Amino acid sequence: MSFRRRIRPARSGGYELRLAHEERALLTALPGHLISLLEGVDETPPGDLPDALRRLLPPAYTNDPDAERAYESMTRQDLVEHHRGSLETMATTANATWLDDDQIASWLAALNDLRLALGSMIGVTEDQAEPPVGDAHQAEWIAYLYLGGLQTELIDVLEPTLPEPSPGADDLVPEDHWGEPPGGLRWDGTPQPRYP
Amino acid sequence: MTTTSIGSTTVPTEVERPETHNVAAPELPWLVIVWNDPINLMSYVTYVFQKLFGYSRTKAHKLMLDVHYKGRAVVSSGPKERAELDVARLHQHGLWATMEHSG
Repeated sequence: MSFRRRIRPARSGGYELRLAHEERALLTALPGHLISLLEGVDETPPGDLPDALRRLLPPAYTNDPDAERAYESMTRQDLVEHHRGSLETMATTANATWLDDDQIASWLAALNDLRLALGSMIGVTEDQAEPPVGDAHQAEWIAYLYLGGLQTELIDVLEPTLPEPSPGADDLVPEDHWGEPPGGLRWDGTPQPRYP
Repeated sequence: MTTTSIGSTTVPTEVERPETHNVAAPELPWLVIVWNDPINLMSYVTYVFQKLFGYSRTKAHKLMLDVHYKGRAVVSSGPKERAELDVARLHQHGLWATMEHSG
């Protein structure tokens, strides 16, 4: 089986994009839908958000409503702008054959945002590789899985470009004070998968 | 923490105790927690931990596995303002992050 990379570093810097026409059409259209969903959510509390946006605008404090309100009023607008900016970059460069470093970073963010929105809408559960039989959201599933494949390729391309680790940063992570979760379950109550 | 005073008489202890409380309280760090979710790719979570915090690939991979298999992991800690900044950066990258006081 031959494998043709759709995104690869260009010799002169930046990244070459080799996508089919149908892919480019999808990557132009999907961001527009999500941008329109993001209109007017600056004031909406997380609990009242539509499913598609819940994962894009999550709370920081889950046990302190006052702190959460203060945090939201401080950060919500920036967060919405960040998502919108990445999505707009993807939509306007979806037909490009070359992207610069900032644009490729926006693509990674936009791909993830689109997957979060679609995955929340269709109710993806852990490690689902295909839609349930008879699921009504076949088109959303196809788009979701397609975006995951492209994002995986993009991460493979971008990971070697990360800067060297910061000296000593690893040692600053505090020990996990919860220890091991109860047998068979994760701390969030879902079944614990087996270590590979 | 205790303050040391020569001879450990009661008088210096009474004087120093309020200061000790004032100093100790803000030092309790806030913990930034990333929660498991079924959507974010494992490779993406590992990438984001390296990018945002400067962790080695080994450390970032271990934290990602903790998120995946235990359901949550502490990924950074510090004063409240620092923790809020880290949560905001994680949210911008689509990760499911919250913060709580370690006390």
